Parts: sequence; C-alpha cells; structure tokens
Amino acid sequence: MREILKPIPVLNNRIFRQNKGRNIVAVTAIALTTLMFTTLFVLSRSMDKNLVEMMFRQTGYDAQVSFKSITPEQIAKIAGRPEVKEVGESVVVGLGKGDALTGRQVEVRFADESYAGHSFSLPETGGMPQQKDEIALDTIVLDRMGIPHELGQHITLEWTADFAGEESRISEFTLCGFWEGNESSYASMAWVDRTFLEEAAAGTKAGLSTNDEAGAKASLITGIHMAQVSLYEENDIEQTMDRILADTGLTELEYSVNLAYDPGMNRMKTQESLPMYLGMLLVFAAGWLIIYNIFQISVTTDIRFYGKLKTLGMTAKQLKKLIYGQAGRLCLIGIPAGMVPGYLLGYLLVPVLVNNLSVSASASPVIFAGSALFAAVTVLISCMRPARMAGKVSPMEALRYNDVQGVKRSFKKRSGSAKLSALAWSNLGRNKKRTVTVICSLTLGLTLMSAFYAKNAAFDMEKYLSGLTISDYQIDDASSEEYVAGYDPYNNTLNDVLTDKVNSMEGLEKTGYLYSHDTQIALSEQTIANLQGFYTQDVLDFWGSYDPAGPESLKQAIDAKQAGSVIYGADGIVLDAYTAPEHVQEGSVDMEKFATGRYVFAIAPTAEEEEGRILPTVSVGDEVVIEGKSYTVMAVVDDINPVTEGAHEGGHTDRFFLDFILPLVAFEENWPENTPRKLFFDVEDAFIDAAQEMLDAYSAETGVTLSVTSRASMSAQYGRETRSSAVIGNVISIVIALVGVLNFVNSMVTSIVARRKEFAMMQSVGMTKKQLCRLLVYEGMDYAFAVLLVSYAFSALVVGVGIRAMVEGGFTTFRFTLLPLVLCTPVLLAFALLIPYLCFRNIEKVSLVERLRMTE
Amino acid sequence: MEAIVRAKGLKKYYGKGEALVKALDGVDLEIERGKFTVIIGTSGSGKSTLLNMLGGLDAPSEGSIFIGEQELAHLNSEQATVFRRKQIGFIFQNYNLIPVLTVWENILFPITLDNRKPDRNYIMDIVQFLGLESKLDTLPNNLSGGQQQRVAIARALASKPSIILADEPTGNLDSRTSNDVVGLLKVTSRQFCQTIVMITHNPDIASSADRIIHIEDGRIVE
Repeated sequence: MREILKPIPVLNNRIFRQNKGRNIVAVTAIALTTLMFTTLFVLSRSMDKNLVEMMFRQTGYDAQVSFKSITPEQIAKIAGRPEVKEVGESVVVGLGKGDALTGRQVEVRFADESYAGHSFSLPETGGMPQQKDEIALDTIVLDRMGIPHELGQHITLEWTADFAGEESRISEFTLCGFWEGNESSYASMAWVDRTFLEEAAAGTKAGLSTNDEAGAKASLITGIHMAQVSLYEENDIEQTMDRILADTGLTELEYSVNLAYDPGMNRMKTQESLPMYLGMLLVFAAGWLIIYNIFQISVTTDIRFYGKLKTLGMTAKQLKKLIYGQAGRLCLIGIPAGMVPGYLLGYLLVPVLVNNLSVSASASPVIFAGSALFAAVTVLISCMRPARMAGKVSPMEALRYNDVQGVKRSFKKRSGSAKLSALAWSNLGRNKKRTVTVICSLTLGLTLMSAFYAKNAAFDMEKYLSGLTISDYQIDDASSEEYVAGYDPYNNTLNDVLTDKVNSMEGLEKTGYLYSHDTQIALSEQTIANLQGFYTQDVLDFWGSYDPAGPESLKQAIDAKQAGSVIYGADGIVLDAYTAPEHVQEGSVDMEKFATGRYVFAIAPTAEEEEGRILPTVSVGDEVVIEGKSYTVMAVVDDINPVTEGAHEGGHTDRFFLDFILPLVAFEENWPENTPRKLFFDVEDAFIDAAQEMLDAYSAETGVTLSVTSRASMSAQYGRETRSSAVIGNVISIVIALVGVLNFVNSMVTSIVARRKEFAMMQSVGMTKKQLCRLLVYEGMDYAFAVLLVSYAFSALVVGVGIRAMVEGGFTTFRFTLLPLVLCTPVLLAFALLIPYLCFRNIEKVSLVERLRMTE
Repeated sequence: MEAIVRAKGLKKYYGKGEALVKALDGVDLEIERGKFTVIIGTSGSGKSTLLNMLGGLDAPSEGSIFIGEQELAHLNSEQATVFRRKQIGFIFQNYNLIPVLTVWENILFPITLDNRKPDRNYIMDIVQFLGLESKLDTLPNNLSGGQQQRVAIARALASKPSIILADEPTGNLDSRTSNDVVGLLKVTSRQFCQTIVMITHNPDIASSADRIIHIEDGRIVE
C-alpha cells in the first residue's frame, strides 16, 4: 500500500533539503543570534547571583531575618512556629584586640552550627569548638596573627568584653577549625565553646542571658543573644515576621530583614542587568534584520513556486505553514548550535565580568529556555512578513514576478557615457526593501562598534585618578579607616622606620604628610548665616536622602553654635593639591604668609561655580579660634577626598564637622604627640615598581599590613572593573557587524544568482563578459558606498551627539573618533569587490544557452 | 443538457487611457457537462484570460461566472482556492508539477491539501489507464514531457473535479506525443465522465472536439 501523502510536512522536508545554501546562511544567522542571547542570559543571571552573594557577604549572613538582641526563651518561641525553617543562635563574648587585628573587626562568640553556617563561617577544616579552650577562626585572622592554617595550633587571643575596649583580657586556645575568610564581610568570627562563654559572662557585671539596661549602658556586649531565622517562604518576609511576633506576643522585639531579600534588590538586579537587556534588544534587531532578509529573499526567489502551489489549491494558511515549517527546522538546528558556544562564551566571560571567584557561570535552565525562546521569537517575527507575502501571492502574479515590487518607476534620460554604472545603481533600487534591510543591518553593527570605541576612548585615566589619589603612592595609618573604634592619632603605622625608608628611597620626587586632630569650634554668626544660606531645604532633602542623620546634626550644631572640627596639618604634596588654583574656591593663597602659622584654610564641599554662591563654612578673613588660638581664614578650599577620607577620632559619625588645614609646623607645635595619619609621595616613573617592592618588603619584614593606595594599582583596578563592559560591548558589536556582513554577502549573492537568466539575456544581445563583470562589481561598490555613507553619517551623529552627551561629566575627555569605521571601510570595499567577482566566475561556468533556457 | 459553466458579460481591462488593453470584451458562455470543449484563437486573443477566469485564478473587471451553483465573484481569495482544489482540475502547458514530490505524491497533492481521503481504486485506475504505474516513485524531472503531462492529467482527474481546464497542454510536446496526450485526455474524460475545456493551437485536436469556441480580440466569434 502506498502512503497517503501528508502534503505540508513532506513538502517542508523536501524544500528544506533543496535549499542548502539558504539553510547554511540562515542557520548561521540563527546560531549567532542564539549565541548572543545565551551569553547575555548567562551573564545577567550570573550577575544577579553575584549581587545576591555579595549582599549576603556584606550583611554577613544568608538567613532571611536576624535578631540583634533576643533571649533564649524568645528564640524557642519563634523556632516553634510552622513558618520557621531554622533558627540559628549565637551569643557574643567580646571583640578581638591587639595590633595584629587592627583594622579588622573580630567578634568572639559562641554559636550553633546553623548560625555559623548561615554566617558563612562554618569551619571547612576541623569543626566548631567542643571544649572550653577550643577556638575556630577564619584564615584572615590566622594570617594576621601569623599562624599557619593547621589544626591544633596554639592561639593567644586578646579580647575585650567592653564595646569601648577598655578592659582587655588574654585567653589561650587551641585551633579546632578554620575556614576561608572573606574580606568583603564586615567582620571575622572567632567561635568559642559555650563553657568559655559562661565563664566569661560570669566575670562581667551583667551576667549571662540578661540584656538589661545596666549592661547596655556600660556598653557591655558579653552575653548578648543573637539569632538568625530562616523561613520557608521568601516573599513578604516582613508580614510573616510581624505575624509570628504578634502571635507569639513578642511584638516589642526588633528584627531586621536581610538586605539581600529586600524588594529593592530586584530593582538593583534589574539595574545591574540593564546593559544586558539593551544588548538583547540590539541582538534582536540584528537578528531580525538578517533572518527577515534571508526569508524575504527565499520567498521572493521561490515566489513562482508558491504561486504554483496556490494554483493547485494550497491556501494562504497552508503556505504560511510551509514558511513557518522552514523556519522551525532552521531553528531546530540553529538554536542548539548557538546555545553551546553561547554558554561557553558566557562561561568564559563571567570571571572577567564578575570580580568574584566564588561565582561561576549560572547553569540555570532558565538561561537555555530563555535564550531558545528569545531566538525562536526573533525568527518567528522575522518570517512573519515573508510568510504573509507567500500567503498572499496571487497565482496570476506569481507567473509574472521578476524581482520588482509593484513600484511605479520613472525613467530619466541618462547620458550615454555612464550606462553600466547607471544600470548598476538602478539595479540596487529594484528591491528597495532588501537594500534598506542590508544597509540597516550593517549600519547597526558599524555604528555600535564606533559608539563603544568612542565611549571607551573618551575615558581619561588622569581625570579618574585625580579624584582618587593626589600622588603616586599613599600610605594610611592602620586606624585611619577604623570607623567603629575611631582613628587613633597616636597609632604608629607611619613610624620613623617606614618614613625614613620612604625618604631615602631612590627616585623620590616629593612627599606630603597629613596629620589630623579632632576638636570642636564655636560657630560665629557669620558662619551660621553661611551654613543656613547654603543648606536650603532642597539641599537638606537631598542630603537626608542618602544620610538621614546629616540634616539633624547640622541643626544641632547651629542650635549649639558649636561644631566638630578636624584640624589637618599638612605639607608638601598635600598643600600643593589644596592650593592648586582649581581647588581654591574663595580667597587667595599666599604660601609665605600661610607658613607663619597664623592662617588656616577652611575646607568646604565643592560648590557650583556661580555668582554670589555661599560656601557652607567660615568666610575668608574671619577669625577662627581653635583650642584657644586664633587663626585668620586665608582661603576656602575644596574637600579633596583622598586626603580627608577616613574615620573620626572615637568613631563619631553623628556630628556636623567644619574642617581646617594648618601648616605642618604649626600643627606639630599644637599637638606634638600626634603621629602622621597619611603619607603621600611621588616617585620618578622608572621607580614606580621599585617603590611598591620596597613597601612589600617592609610589610614582609615587619608583618605589618600597610594600607597602600597607588596610582598603578588604582588604574589596574579600574581596568579590571571596566573590562567586563568593554568586552561585552565589543563582542556584541562585532557579532552584530558580522551578522551585517553575512547579510550583505547573502543579499549580493542571491540577487546575482536570481538574475542569472537576465544576465544571459543581456549577454545574448551583446553585453561582453567584461561588461557583465563590471556591472556586478559596480553594483557591489554602490552597495558598499551606500552602506558606508549611511554608516559614517549615522555614526558621526551617534558619537558626536549621543556619546558626547553620555560621557560628559564623568572622568572623560571627549574626542571625536570613528576609528573602527575607518578600519572597516577597506574590509567592506574588499567584500564588495570580491563577492560579485566570485559570483561572476560561478555564473560563467554555465553556458549562455543553458542559462537562457532556465525556467525559473 | 445541463450547463456546468455559465459566464455572462465577462470583461477584463488592463491599463488606462491610450494603454488600455481589452483582454476580454463582453463574453457570454455556457459549457455543458461531460462535453469536450476547445477554445481556439490567435496569440493575445484572450483565450488564456478566459480560461484563468473560469478557474478562479483571475477575476473579471465586469460580469459573472457560475461553476455549478457557485458564483465565483462571491468567493474571497481563500475560499476561491479551496473551491478550486475541490471543483477544478488544471492542466498547464508547463505541467506545473511539484519538482520535489514524486509522481504519486503529485497526483495526490490537491486531494491531500483538502484533507480528503483519496479514492485509491479510482486513482489507481487512472494511473493504469495513463500507463504511469512504473513511474509512481519517480520525480517529475526524470520524466519526458509527455510523461509529465500525463501525470498532470492524472492529477487533474484524481480529485474528481466538476471541470478540467487545460491551457495548451500539448504546447511543449512534439506532434506525436501531442496526439497521444490529447487522445488520452479525451478517452479518460469520457471514461471518468469529466467535462474538459481546452485551449489549443492545433487544428487537428480542435476538429475532434465536441464544441469549438473561437475567440478574437476578446470576443467570441463562433
């Protein structure tokens, strides 16, 4: 028995097998489109994952809710609730102390395994302490203490039960477990056993399990219970917690929801992935342009065939099915073919993009489902018009069709000399849509490339670095960034040994010291008027939006007519930076007078350059009394962040400050006990590396970790941070340009192949081979010139207007450049020359008579 | 005899003003069921236009066409397509076989497009009658012109249409093959009770018809 024909599937299969050339181009295009979608999906998913992970690390835990102060009875009540998956418990013993731990908060605590696990601090080697004299630490603390990563090591830990850190004790332990520390988390944990906790608590006034008022007032921290709660449900955490607390009668308990679960995180994720979404949009556009063109060409070429099918009774719906069937088959090959390299590319790019070794490329099924869906939708949308065209074909018209759309054309009289070139030009106009599609496709790629290049080229490293550092090297005192305990003006990181080494270094150009002293000053009427004039309601609102306590501190300062004040003593590079003309906001600098020590510079936030501006500090010429001595304000200077950045003495953050600069000599007279806070120095370029080596050697010798900021490391870090966007931008634009070239080649080849018979006719009436070849080359050249013209115009517009506006205000110096386009120009012209020539050679293989006889 | 095709006042104009072409200029026509009708006329006389209109491939500028009880003007393009594959069998000068389908598949094509179950015995009878049994799995391009046209005839008959329209079916064939093909067409149509309307230039073929319609300048000159 013969099989009954299933006409659509059978036709689909056979047509598909017949169109090898088209299939190769289409599969390549679909694969490239899918590749980009997959890569972008992998990147955006991995970045989401990284963001959450980072948030977990910063908050220090990955449970949904934490209690900073709670009793064991309350914990038991909450743990009994059905919504609660897990409760981890921890009790604070104290804070680690000692030189080795300066600059790193080390919390000595008891914790159960759940708490330690959710705090990323569960020992990876060994286990949690079981004995009174056991301790588990992370590698950061071990390294700082200079203890090898081995179990059983003897640990001597200095710690304090007091937040102010006044009474400290020393305890001896054996290392029973350790884990890889994470620098980005706010503190390191030092786990001890419950028996140690009980003993330690017994020695304090408050005792264990009482978070009573007396304890809190004495800033005593021993015995504070903390808990982390994991819920089954990740949505509406606050409502769930409120309900649990209400039901258990614990409404007075304060809890905080992990920031990583905050709804704001979703917004952040979206923001972070925005470039990816834009990239996807571009990929869609490029994919549409080429896949549409391929189908359009294919349907146009086969229009008679579709007409024939319609004559035989195929309905429009069935014809459309035929086109979509072709598209479906192409997708079946192209999408998997693009997904694999796309995932690999994403896999390779993730480490470049995400500066976090613990995050690897996400392999979520969403990536594959999503990119397959996006690619399929792109293909579907691309062949909608061609399918409609095939469906609408009238059997009569199909018999007449010859690559001209029903456009009324007027023939102008042309001069006889340029016939071939004129014919070539008018040939381009024969299928305007195709020409426009190809031009758009190539222009999109070329313009993107130019735009990315111009944006990256506009970046000005000097400008960027000047905001971050004022010298080649900067060394900070270890306590300079101690935001909790506060800056210690007598700390000795920058001791004589180190400064002597720096001063005697070969190639040293200039140094600059910075000292600081925290004090208070009285605010004069004039100063208060200045402050009130500057801090208008708008400014206050904006300030409050990122620092809620700020406006309040200002109000208190004005009410009390007194403000906090940091007095800086500075010389060399630091004074040079402040007195550079662009940093002097008001007044005029006279260094000789300043050196007398009777003058100060006032530091004020940089104000907009405008007439009649008011600076939020003392006025030039005012007298300021600092700890009993009177100084005249010589100038108001900008707040230079690398200099003033750091903690206040005692860790105060809630006070309003007005800061001043004294010459170093005058500063040392007033506060002779203070040690240098920061040391800035420049070295000759040839000695940049030598300086770093010298500092590294010093660290290795003394075991002191220096906080060094260097131009070289900053610029390298910037490179690392922005490499991702540079790589993605370039990859996307190159792939889109490739798609454009593919489109260009495909269009030229098919348009020549489709006109074989026409060329044979021209040759039969006397066109020579040479003339035909020239005609084809002219066509290619016209195409290329059209593309280049549009691309240059469009790129110039995008770069000159769009990119210029985009980079304005950043660390950039805009330069107009179309370098990528200039580089692509000869490549494109070569293609435009080569392809028609190759096609011509191919056509000539078939004899004239045979070509004339061709039916379709 | 009952008329299967009734056309009234058919006109088809192309262009405007000086360039106006009157392809058909008022044709009235009735074609009887089961008859073998031949349309003759010089090149450009309007015969192909008339045939295409009878088949619903082209629409008249004016006038009406009934195939059986169905007026073609009342059909939209999609309905016309469906009507065509059910009611009309076409035979073209260039055969219009689908090159990617085998002979058997080509014959079944219009029926299967219509989701109808083909009448296997009936079709095998036609195949045998036309001597195509050994060629059923061959692709059309491997057949001679005469064989290809016989496949086209089989395809036109297979769906049991109300009428078969043939536009110079022998135009691409040598005279011996032409006679064979026309002979077969006539015999089969009689055998399977089909109505045939055929355009031809060949006076021998015309003379053997039940009826001859002569068209010149878009009008019938019987």
